[in-house]
Amino acid sequence: MARLLARSPITPPPPLVVAEGWEVSGRRSGAALRLSDCTPLAKLLVRGDEQGRFRARFGIGVGAARLLSPDLLVIGWGPGEWTLLGPPGAEERLASVAALDRDDGGGEFLSATEVTHGHALMRLAGTAAAALLAKICAIDLGDDVTPNGAAFRSSVAKLVTEVVRHDRDGEPAYWLQCDRAFGQYLFDAVLDAGAEFGIEVDGFRPPWI
Amino acid sequence: MLLIPCVHCGPRNVSEFAYADAVLPAPDPNAAPPSVWRRYLYMRTNPAGWTSEWWYHQSGCRRYFMVERDTRTNEIRAAALPPRPADRGAP
Repeated sequence: MARLLARSPITPPPPLVVAEGWEVSGRRSGAALRLSDCTPLAKLLVRGDEQGRFRARFGIGVGAARLLSPDLLVIGWGPGEWTLLGPPGAEERLASVAALDRDDGGGEFLSATEVTHGHALMRLAGTAAAALLAKICAIDLGDDVTPNGAAFRSSVAKLVTEVVRHDRDGEPAYWLQCDRAFGQYLFDAVLDAGAEFGIEVDGFRPPWI
Repeated sequence: MLLIPCVHCGPRNVSEFAYADAVLPAPDPNAAPPSVWRRYLYMRTNPAGWTSEWWYHQSGCRRYFMVERDTRTNEIRAAALPPRPADRGAP
């Protein structure tokens, strides 16, 4: 019997490998600027009162992101709207984090929706990442306006895209998330804009967050 | 380029927004005759000067908010959220 595999909306460049039940690219790049399809990461969209218990518990408001643990990121996109990001297959763990908050009581309505397969997610990493994004996004990406941990939703390559700056080991990096249907377009648009910086596709591999 | 000062996201390019409508007081649903509703729904004055408008930040926070804009110069002097239902005395 054939084994069922999950697939990202972004066609993975060869070689193809299987990671956590997903068919992903096994390519390895050591380029200074890299783009990875990270759609397999678990994603949970949480909606509630913008000043409610979720915000009070995790301290994340509009335009900020913070690690709850080394492999769990919470991001505030807009008023009363957050995303929890975790390792592949961690959807139930993310839901338990959101549900714990709901169990605090108070009668506040809080919804949690799994969007792992509904959104495309990619990670752009490298010292020229901000210079690349500046070509296709009108937001000021300087350290004083969008420091590490900043999050926003804006137009990237004329597409509504959620952007989080999340540096790793001092290297600037950005998560880019959009609707699944536009994933391939955004991936290609970023690669096209990054050609002058020598961007290369990197495969999907740990560390996940 | 027109910058709209979103209440949540800060100043953004107008291309991220959708103009929604003029800010108008709604008629009393229990007393307003059809002529008043027709004027409220369809008739606009198109003023040359300061107006209060609803704008929707469709590429950002996805919220409606009110803006005071001069239609002659596109100068914007204020942006604010609508009052929350609790502040309006709703149950």
